Amino acid sequence: MLEIKDLQKRFGDTVALDGVSLSAAPGEVVGFVGANGAGKTTTMRIAMGVLAADSGQIVYNGAPLGVEQRRRFGYMPSERGLYPKMKTGEQVAYFGELHGMSKAEARRSAAELLEQLDLTHRAGDFVQDLSLGNQQRVQLAVSLVHDPEVLILDEPFSGLDPIAVDVMGTALRDRAAAGAPVIFSSHQLDLIERLCDSVAIIGKGSIIAAGTVEELKAKEVKQLRVRVDSGEDLTGRLPGSVVRDGGDYLVEGADDQEVLRIAAAAGRVSHFAYDQPTIAEIFREAVTR
Amino acid sequence: MSNQSSETSRMRGLMLVAGREIRVRGLSKSNIISLLITVVIVGVLAALPMILGGDDPDDKVGLAGADAAAMQAQLDAMGGFEVTLYDSADEAEQAVEDEEVDSAVADGALISRDGVGTTIQTQLEAAWQAATIQTNLSDAGLTDAQIGEALAAEPLEVVTLEDSANDSVTSYFTGLVISIIMFMMLMTPVQYIAMGVVEEKSSRIVEILLTSLKPWQLLGGKVIGLGVISLVNLVAMVAVGLGVSAATGVLGDLPEGTASAALSTIGWYLIALVLFGTLAGGVGSLVSRQEESGSVLTPLIMSLTLSYLGAIFMLNAPTSTVAQVLSIVPPFSAITMPTRMAITTVPAWEIALSIGLLVVAAAGALALGAQLYKRSVLYTGSRLKLADALRRAA
Repeated sequence: MLEIKDLQKRFGDTVALDGVSLSAAPGEVVGFVGANGAGKTTTMRIAMGVLAADSGQIVYNGAPLGVEQRRRFGYMPSERGLYPKMKTGEQVAYFGELHGMSKAEARRSAAELLEQLDLTHRAGDFVQDLSLGNQQRVQLAVSLVHDPEVLILDEPFSGLDPIAVDVMGTALRDRAAAGAPVIFSSHQLDLIERLCDSVAIIGKGSIIAAGTVEELKAKEVKQLRVRVDSGEDLTGRLPGSVVRDGGDYLVEGADDQEVLRIAAAAGRVSHFAYDQPTIAEIFREAVTR
Repeated sequence: MSNQSSETSRMRGLMLVAGREIRVRGLSKSNIISLLITVVIVGVLAALPMILGGDDPDDKVGLAGADAAAMQAQLDAMGGFEVTLYDSADEAEQAVEDEEVDSAVADGALISRDGVGTTIQTQLEAAWQAATIQTNLSDAGLTDAQIGEALAAEPLEVVTLEDSANDSVTSYFTGLVISIIMFMMLMTPVQYIAMGVVEEKSSRIVEILLTSLKPWQLLGGKVIGLGVISLVNLVAMVAVGLGVSAATGVLGDLPEGTASAALSTIGWYLIALVLFGTLAGGVGSLVSRQEESGSVLTPLIMSLTLSYLGAIFMLNAPTSTVAQVLSIVPPFSAITMPTRMAITTVPAWEIALSIGLLVVAAAGALALGAQLYKRSVLYTGSRLKLADALRRAA
């Protein structure tokens, strides 16, 4: 269990984080959503020990996170970086060693990852000679090479082609299935919705909404969408507040069974369900609130 | 945050960083090619005395008359002469006429077409006198052993009363070589360390590195790695230079103490490397782009260049007050003191003071460089001012 507790961070006069708390249980994929400048990267950097918080702490499995434990974390910073003049295979293995693996282990793990990422034939090439997409894959390999216990990934999907997005998504789910807490940030909210168990929305340095995807959706104001094959306008006859959305009626604040009865009496009901808000809608709602 | 990693993994991190520098930079094609070229140049330079000497043809001398045999023995012992024996003085004269030989000595006469020059004349004169004495003594009934004893004379012992006793051409040369090598061997890693720091910063890889390494490991590993590369290059150059000198027989001419001077230079070099290397890493971290690294390195390059110029000045005035001061004050002492030690006798207290001050300066540079690095390595954007970097929270 990784817990980020009440982080405070100022850069000069700017308050970057104002009491950010966030947690990821083993096997849980947490999506970290927020506008640019909201504090995602700062939070992740502090969690990885690259930046020091003014106050607050990072707790891992019940105890403050130490240097040795953090070396078993996998991290992908938002600004990508690799040694341009180092061979791909050598570079991935080097990071494995930095994270405490033996030379042999690191090499084996690097070779396996490059195989999975379809980069084996490029292992002997300098990173600067790879295409941008392939460099992104190498970056992923660097963050996964030491078989991390926890993954913290800042915008792992940005700049990836659709195939690489799938590879990355699978990698995240695999790690989570193996019991690792995973936190990643993204602006691609459809991906968050597809991959995440829970979501934390950050705005102006504080968490403004958090919970499982279902919880967040359930919290939103419910709208009942009704479609009736009828020549008649039911706006005035349905209870509650009714709005037309094309041919549909959006009903709020009414007993749904009564709505169904009236609709069924008027004609054939071809659609009758509560609208599920997308994460994108929840996000927009949360940040404008 | 306060958890410390174990001692072994700290060292391991440091060594992994150093190892990467050695693998990637030391084994890079460009480094190996430049090392090969340097080694070839050094080898050619070392072999130069022999190559030049080999082109100098022996003087052809014709000999005739009673003392011819004894004289031939003398000339062979001197070396540099190609001797031809003739049966008579006339034949020898004819040989000079026909340009078979440059000159001839026959019956007490030195025959040449238009003179032989003072050097050869002196040598021939000496050989003639020795041969004549030998013949006369032999005629007087002495054995060869007795003659040898009678002629034996120790060469003069050279005693000089002034302090500049060591100020010979060879120690001047040794001092020059030490100052050039120190200068170059510090210049290269200083630039590479700064470039490496900027590379990690500009490619943003430093952010991943810092999740598993401490800033001091990153900086220290770089200094160690590039120091090792420079030392290997130096050792290769010295080995080739000495090897070729030994093979061509020049080695024996090197003054005593060259080996100890070379060894103490390595000691000075290591302290100087810590001093300049950590500062280079520190100032390198102030900028985010490779183009800007030149400007922050300027003060370091300047002080290195001044040290070198000071050493060159010192070669001509090793006992002056300026030389004395330069060789004690860091960072100049790093190059000037080993140079001064090579050309003159330096009082022990001056050496001790110089080492002490240099070590203190290196320790200060280590602290300053590491602090600068730690505070500014994650900062991107325009160049950080030194004062701002020191004011920043780590």
